[in-house]
Amino acid sequence: MAQWKGWRKALTVLAFIGPTLIGVLIFNIYPILFNTYISFTNRNRYHPNPDCSITLTSILEPTCWKVFEENRPTGLAEPFRIQEPLFANYSDLLGEFFSAPMLLNFLKIIVCFVPLIIAGQVNKSFGKRIERPLPTWVVTLGGILLALGLGYLLRFDLAVNQIAGSGDFFIVTFRSLLYVALCIPLFFIVGLALALLLNIPDLPGRTFFRVILIVPWAASTVAVMIALVWKFFFQEVGTINQLLAIIGITGKAWLQEPALAFGVCVFVNVWMSYPFFMVTILGALQSIPSELYEAAEVDGASWWQRLFGITLPLLRPAVIPVIVLSSITTFQMFGTVWALTGGGPSRGAGAPGATELVMVFAYKQVFQTSAYGRMGAFAVIMFIFLFGLTLYSLRLSRITKGAYE
Amino acid sequence: MNRKTKPLAKTLQIIVAILATIFAIYPIWFIILASGRSGDRLLTLNLAGMFLPTEWTWENYQYMIFTDPLLTWMKNSLMVAGLTTIACLFIATSAAFAFSRMRFYGREWGLVLFLAIQSFPGVLSLIPIAQLLTAVGGYAKHWGLILAYTTGTLIFTTMNLKGYFDTIPIDLEEAAMIDGCGPVQSFLLIALPLARPAIAVTALFAFMGGWGEYVLASVIIPAPELKKTVVVALYRLANEISVPWGHFAAGGVMVIVPVLIVFLFLQRYLEGGLTLGGVKG
Repeated sequence: MAQWKGWRKALTVLAFIGPTLIGVLIFNIYPILFNTYISFTNRNRYHPNPDCSITLTSILEPTCWKVFEENRPTGLAEPFRIQEPLFANYSDLLGEFFSAPMLLNFLKIIVCFVPLIIAGQVNKSFGKRIERPLPTWVVTLGGILLALGLGYLLRFDLAVNQIAGSGDFFIVTFRSLLYVALCIPLFFIVGLALALLLNIPDLPGRTFFRVILIVPWAASTVAVMIALVWKFFFQEVGTINQLLAIIGITGKAWLQEPALAFGVCVFVNVWMSYPFFMVTILGALQSIPSELYEAAEVDGASWWQRLFGITLPLLRPAVIPVIVLSSITTFQMFGTVWALTGGGPSRGAGAPGATELVMVFAYKQVFQTSAYGRMGAFAVIMFIFLFGLTLYSLRLSRITKGAYE
Repeated sequence: MNRKTKPLAKTLQIIVAILATIFAIYPIWFIILASGRSGDRLLTLNLAGMFLPTEWTWENYQYMIFTDPLLTWMKNSLMVAGLTTIACLFIATSAAFAFSRMRFYGREWGLVLFLAIQSFPGVLSLIPIAQLLTAVGGYAKHWGLILAYTTGTLIFTTMNLKGYFDTIPIDLEEAAMIDGCGPVQSFLLIALPLARPAIAVTALFAFMGGWGEYVLASVIIPAPELKKTVVVALYRLANEISVPWGHFAAGGVMVIVPVLIVFLFLQRYLEGGLTLGGVKG
């Protein structure tokens, strides 16, 4: 559609995208700007109200606008002001991050992951050769062992603990990253296993299983309700413990013990998210030409060899974007965890609970402590992080290209 | 690949499939069972009672419908989610079409921006949105919630539909344009009918988003009881000091089962219609 130009084209385009643009501008961009502004102020429960004589406040705070004057909150509390120094909220959150020992700790953690990266690269370069000097699993195992060894030598746990001890921000961020690191491989493994199962042509009742196994996906659209059902299961007098009692095992207080509660959150999330992986992988599996498998079989390749040599590499392009997407949503997981544990079990007054992921932490800080200014800074830091991740993931997909490209 | 599977492997496959099925549907099955028991009986179950409807009573449903205003809550949710879906599709389809078909300045970085904006933590934009709605008088009103949901779903809707429009061959529209068809006509008469599966799936997700959403609804309509959406109301029920699990289960069935039916009904469209921000690559 290139032949029409000038103002007519501009008007048509605007008519098509205008309403969406306005909606996004008001309800997506405005909150970001507002949050960024608030992150530089001391807005909290003691300073909740706007001071409309400050220029920026009077622009960004809707109740300062003439039209909405009658809805302006009135109270005796002092209005919030811009922080001095400007980055007070940020330094409050990040704490001693930029001090030498903390940076050293970070360096240690990064070094521990280097063998894994090297192993991946080595495997990649071996893959290009005709004869593999070493099988893939040897290299991978070597990488893992080396990483563990380094972690032991450099006191990985100590470094993590020290960083986590330097502020709530790092505790919740680490925990969320751990949550992602536990969830995503499980999504993939469960999804892959079930997709491979459903891809067997002579599996009896294949259509039935195909439909029934995506039930959790449907259920996850009402995630909070389902999470409450799971909460009932894992209660101390819940179904799981009743089941265990029947076979003679005394159940545990699943949601009261930190590690177990965390495990339950992972488990429930796996239940909700594997169907998405399963459907994607199944779609990709069906697009792999069967000649490849036939040729492999003629060459006498075993089932595992076919899996690692053909299936997994060819699944890559379809699965990587899904993994990135899921990582972002899992990192920001809120409703499910909130309904399951509410961020608890508590680990002492003031400290974040054992399942307090980033969004749960933010929600609690905003709605229970009213720390708007601090959480504004938190939002900005998270946004920069996630923004970068999203831009990276865009490189992997074609979504921003037009149909004619 | 075509040779017969060994009987042992076959049995194993079926066992795994059945176990996976139990894993997948047990919570749903359990909540249906639970809705048919009086509350205190839930905590003393025998093995059969956990899997089979050994007893059944309509008490919980009667309580939820006649004593608690479950139907009003459901009506609220239905209205909010329904209007959100309609508004969303109405606004976003044209934008998706423009992003897929038209060349204009800022198209590409506009899309990148859209996607990147979405990564802003939703929980933290609650306060500005609630404030904005308070200012315009939409706080604790259904239209305020509809407004917030619609604009919140816009980006996903636009992206998903755009992804699908991309897969429709442009040749049809080019042929139509040679015959003198304008952009509006080619959108309404050619692209829209072809995009039906994607529109169905997008509508499904927009609707589900509104139907099952909890956080925004609990912030924007925290009270009064009769205006709440069903998930917020049931959440409150499940967090009372002595939780009436039977009542909660009855409510849960009324919320979850319709969703499941619609979802399974539309599931054959899922693979084709859901492009999920370019997942199709």
